[in-house]
Amino acid sequence: MATIIVDNKEITVENGALLIEELLKNGIEIPHFCYHPALGKDGNCRMCMVEIEGKKRPQIACDTPITEGMIIRTKGEKIQKVKRQILEMELINHPIDCPICDQAGECSLQNYYMDVGLYENRLSTPKTHGKKNIDIGANVVLDQERCVLCTRCVRFTKDITKTKELGVLNRTDHSVISIFPGRPLSNPYAMNVVDLCPVGALTSKDFRFHKRVWFLEPAEAICNGCSKGCSIYVDHHKAKYEDDSIFRYRPRFNDQINGYFICDVGRLSYKVENKNRESVAKIRGKESEYEYASGKLLRLLKRHQGKILFLISPSLSLEEMAQVKKLSIKYGAKLSGYDICEYDKTFGDDYLKCNDLSTNRRGLNLLDIDESELGESVENIDLAVLIGRDDIETIKNYEQIEVKVLVHPSMPKDNDIYNLYLPMLTHTSRQGSFINIDGYLQFSKSNVEYAKETQSLLQIISILLNDNATTCKEIWDESLNKIIKNIHFEDIQKRSVKMDES
Amino acid sequence: MGIKVVPRHGKSLKEKMYLPAIVGGLKVTFSHFFTNLKDTSNIQTLNYPEEQPKDITERYRGVHRLTKREDDSVRCVACFMCSTACPAECIFIEATEREDNVDEKMPKKFSIDLLECVFCGGCVEACPCDAIRMDTGIFSFVKEKREDFVVDIDTLLSHKPMKGGKK
Ligand code: SF4
Ligand code: SF4
Ligand code: SF4
Ligand code: SF4
Ligand code: FES
Repeated sequence: MATIIVDNKEITVENGALLIEELLKNGIEIPHFCYHPALGKDGNCRMCMVEIEGKKRPQIACDTPITEGMIIRTKGEKIQKVKRQILEMELINHPIDCPICDQAGECSLQNYYMDVGLYENRLSTPKTHGKKNIDIGANVVLDQERCVLCTRCVRFTKDITKTKELGVLNRTDHSVISIFPGRPLSNPYAMNVVDLCPVGALTSKDFRFHKRVWFLEPAEAICNGCSKGCSIYVDHHKAKYEDDSIFRYRPRFNDQINGYFICDVGRLSYKVENKNRESVAKIRGKESEYEYASGKLLRLLKRHQGKILFLISPSLSLEEMAQVKKLSIKYGAKLSGYDICEYDKTFGDDYLKCNDLSTNRRGLNLLDIDESELGESVENIDLAVLIGRDDIETIKNYEQIEVKVLVHPSMPKDNDIYNLYLPMLTHTSRQGSFINIDGYLQFSKSNVEYAKETQSLLQIISILLNDNATTCKEIWDESLNKIIKNIHFEDIQKRSVKMDES
Repeated sequence: MGIKVVPRHGKSLKEKMYLPAIVGGLKVTFSHFFTNLKDTSNIQTLNYPEEQPKDITERYRGVHRLTKREDDSVRCVACFMCSTACPAECIFIEATEREDNVDEKMPKKFSIDLLECVFCGGCVEACPCDAIRMDTGIFSFVKEKREDFVVDIDTLLSHKPMKGGKK
């Protein structure tokens, strides 16, 4: 540990660490383009200048190791002048097309420009132009003029994905970022460069022109693309006279699970959330009142008591699993989490993506829910309730099952197979806790509200159980804390927690 | 219950009598009446709608128009600045790719709900491209249905600046 003085305030920091790292950690704002915690320093943008007592000239904070007793100034006339000059350099050839740039509103260049000063353009020669709107593959659009040449994107493809698709071409003010001829950006994590790029040089083709970012509301959630369960932000917005919808997912920093990144498949999976939003209950394919359908399910459960199968998705939250388990005990039902569709041998890799596509398989184990093949154990079953999954194939061969019920966010096309269909809210609209493949317990907070009449699974079950536990907290207190003794609901609100191996 | 005695207003006897003040007021009324009777050209009121106002200046905030570029194409780039600034949230824009190499982005839909609009001019101030103006001089916009007050992009583009105004 070392003590340093920053702007006349003493702070304790790690000795030998990079100055910028510790300053940012302590909430001191240091403008920077090229430094990124996941990519390290590069020292090319010179935006992070600070004054260090004893040094003749200002120094870059991203390449200065901390020593005991350093005295640092991040503000003041002198340093402001330096920043202003560097920004002016950056802006010489910048097109300043903020009105048509998707980055506007979350652009470092724009923010620093507003902070440092509103100055006149002193350039009398025309700007050097680059190419705009180039599709470089993997849903990424490149605008060479807007680039500040921080090389974050180049370093990402070099150091993280090791695919090396991007490079800097030419010299001086003709330097541009480019792909190599005929070799587009193509790696399963490519779209992270869009988040990495501090300006609007790399933008997402998928998000392009769909929404100005200042309208978006971020909700904290976890990705349900695979069992890694990366932490994400769900950026959604409810426009006037329209339903709330999701416009993009972004990685949410989590040093235990996904760091600063997510995979492209997970990132684009928001579309499913927008599409699968059924709100009408159906009985034998015909629309029905919600209350009537829910009452009918209750009657069915009572009638078939002892001969029921609950087939749940291994992607339900712990809370939902616990409640279904309670329901299965009440009606003497068999409960199974057997799901063969949730594996994809081609999906996983050695970074984030995993072959197991379910979000909470370890939750099944924890709650002692059977996931072995159904086999003969369903011989006396005549009512099957599929919850959070619509793989009718799993039970197709069991002819004795007369009544099939589906509780799921979307209705499959061949919907008259099901005697009863009850819509439930989608993943990003239901809160819940999940255990990922490495045993980290996380809470997904996002509850995007899209249709008033559709209920969450917890609400649906609470009606069937005739109790009032509809919030995650209540279910933690009531049942989960009996199984998970050393972790409390409050502990997972801010970050993920590693489960005990025992 | 009881009777509340209200003191007579006024200080002097003349004021307390009221009548002199009434006569004074009528004098003004009648002097205008006879002046206007002799010469109708200076009357302040209009026989609207037969008579239309002539004092609408270029700065008057009338119904909006979307301006055009030199090549007669839409100037708006769908940046949403106007709809962000709008206090009535009555500007509805949908952006799309612009394919003609003039620019990258343009509005696919752009409509203003004139029933919600408070004619504050915030949108005009906010536009970084001078693409929206309220200098049409249109002060009366009458329709039969509510929906007709939501003016779409074609209508907004067809509105002309008022005579004598800047193009
Ligand atoms: S494209 Fe973006 S991330 Fe890449 S060098 Fe330019 S500014 Fe940096
Ligand atoms: S690796 Fe898995 S959890 Fe992470 S973003 Fe991709 S699909 Fe989602
Ligand atoms: S005049 Fe004011 S209320 Fe009307 S559209 Fe413009 S900003 Fe909105
Ligand atoms: S502010 Fe101007 S350019 Fe932007 S959307 Fe509105 S009218 Fe179009
Ligand atoms: S952040 Fe220090 S030089 Fe770029």
